[in-house]
Amino acid sequence: MPNASDTRHAPAPAAPAAPAAGPSAASGGVARRARTGRVVRLVALLAAVALVLAFPSLAPNAYILSAGIVVASYACTATAWNFMGGFTGYVSLGHAAFFGLGAYGTGILIRDLGLPSFVAWLLAGLLVLLVTIPLGIAALRVRGASFVIVSISFVLILLLVFQAWGSFTGGSDGLVVPRPFPDLLRPEHHQVFFYLFAALLAVMLVTWWAIDRSRFGTGLKAVREDEDKAQALGVPTRNYKLVAYVVSATFTGLAGGMYALWFGDLDPIFQFSIMLGSYMVLMALFGGVRHLYGPLLGALVVGVGLEYFKLEFGDTQFHLVATALLLGVVVLFMPDGIIPAVQSLLKRLGPQDSSIREITAAELLERNRAAASPTTPADDGTAQPAAVGQDGRHADGAPTGEGTGEDVGPRRGGPGGSSRGTSERMEDAAPRPRTGPEEDR
Amino acid sequence: MTTTTTAQTVRNLETVGLTKSFGGVHAVRDATVTFHHGKINALIGPNGSGKTTFFNCVTGMIKPDAGTVTFRGDDITGKAPHKIARAGIGRSFQLCRVFPRMTVLENMLVAVRRTRVRELLAGARNPEEIDKARALLVRVGIDHLENAEARNLSYGQQKLLELAGVLMGDPDTIMLDEPAGGVNPALIGRIGTLVQELNAEGRTFLVVEHNMDMVMSLSDHVIVFDRGRPIAEGTPAVVQSDPRVLEAYLGV
Repeated sequence: MPNASDTRHAPAPAAPAAPAAGPSAASGGVARRARTGRVVRLVALLAAVALVLAFPSLAPNAYILSAGIVVASYACTATAWNFMGGFTGYVSLGHAAFFGLGAYGTGILIRDLGLPSFVAWLLAGLLVLLVTIPLGIAALRVRGASFVIVSISFVLILLLVFQAWGSFTGGSDGLVVPRPFPDLLRPEHHQVFFYLFAALLAVMLVTWWAIDRSRFGTGLKAVREDEDKAQALGVPTRNYKLVAYVVSATFTGLAGGMYALWFGDLDPIFQFSIMLGSYMVLMALFGGVRHLYGPLLGALVVGVGLEYFKLEFGDTQFHLVATALLLGVVVLFMPDGIIPAVQSLLKRLGPQDSSIREITAAELLERNRAAASPTTPADDGTAQPAAVGQDGRHADGAPTGEGTGEDVGPRRGGPGGSSRGTSERMEDAAPRPRTGPEEDR
Repeated sequence: MTTTTTAQTVRNLETVGLTKSFGGVHAVRDATVTFHHGKINALIGPNGSGKTTFFNCVTGMIKPDAGTVTFRGDDITGKAPHKIARAGIGRSFQLCRVFPRMTVLENMLVAVRRTRVRELLAGARNPEEIDKARALLVRVGIDHLENAEARNLSYGQQKLLELAGVLMGDPDTIMLDEPAGGVNPALIGRIGTLVQELNAEGRTFLVVEHNMDMVMSLSDHVIVFDRGRPIAEGTPAVVQSDPRVLEAYLGV
């Protein structure tokens, strides 16, 4: 198979055609790998769905089933949080406010207006949506640590209001929410709610996926990376952030309302709890905020861990210490979460591919000549060769800012992914051994 | 590009009495500047003379205390940066800024401007937009890096990516804050060539720069800032021999 390094030995007329073979062979390998990846993902997804559907019948007792519901509700809240935290990078520690509002909204609408349970649930979600718009406009005027503090303040205010306004909210005595299916026995009740939480989670995941691949999602991710820069490129950052915040809060509110219908008993100290908001952050960070399944995976690990610690250490606060240790380990060793950590591990074990396409000076010269000749009129011909020559030498932007842009942070692209390596190779135009999987295909 | 380089009469960017202070420091005071349409305008001046603050006031990153900024006759004073960008002014940053954890191609796609909800929710990987992005990457010479994360690029490559990203929005006026800062001489030459080519296509440039060789060889019109206001302007040759400039900037 002709590969790119053959071009220098080929007669001149053949040279423009030959470089195309290298990249196309490489993209064939990439396409094959992408197809394998898609099949693997599909199988994994089907297996996960089957596992979720089978879980209630596999659960040995009602406790395990109810713990499963708690974990599912964690997965919902963490995924909902990630609409804001993951896309825009704004860390809200106060998302419990929306959970509580959704829960209390559902309960109070049923109690006072006698609405059907799920109508009340949807209305409570709408209520959270409407409340979040002015709140978001105010909170999103600040960034970074200030935003974290503003987000906490809202949940603390609501906690005090809901505790103090006992005549309306039930205060510390709690609010009893009527069960939506009074005829169901307890295990069946659990089973139904496990599926309801799973369905809500599925809706969130599909929404997150759709935003992730959209133009809107690209804008949100740009806000996460560099907000000023995004704005300078024309992204209306304030409106984008507000939409992400409202979507995130509304889903959190719906999860809260679902919790109210399942659990049936609300107390401000648990619904408007800083801990609940912190769990969302911990779970999302644990799994990886840049990934669709990150918060879900985090909820599975942390949620199961929390339930286990509570069971082991009972009434003591020791489960909090254990959770804190878990957070410490994640932040220290897997700052991007477990999904990226595992991915880079697999990449290191698997075939090494270069994220930056290798190209020699001769190839680049040929390609630029080929690109330049049909487009440039004859009278420009004198200026072009000089520009092309410059391309060949410096198109790579010869590394000058030593230590400024390069070598910052761990490189995840594997050894082939080094931009400096590429430029060195371009400078010495000697034949070189090709590495990478294209070679043997 | 729809604009032509026909006449000086076409109004581009103008400021009148632009003023901005930080506490007691008058970063920009009473700056009245007219940039020549279709030309390469350079803004020079010693460190701390208010060039970057002026730049940020014009692009909306900072709200000026007083004065007005007009672009092609429209008042854009104090408008949000994204509105100014969409009006046709693209800018780069003094210390080159790219989106580090996004790929080169994704960096380019951020600059795609849509307003309808349906378009915003459509997939970001639109073939036409990707083709446009690739063509621009080829133009600046980093198309072979399109799938690399921007943080893995060298500083020079990031500068080129930033310029390509600005071009993605089809600005007809481009403001570059120290395009030659921190890059090697060969790349400075390359950026200079790009600026000239883009200018020949009808784009107006405003370049803040310390590299005198670049300024003098590149620009048609030079404005010299000192202590927050313009003290001289004219062709490179005129400015270079102006005694006020020599005193303020070259320290003679």
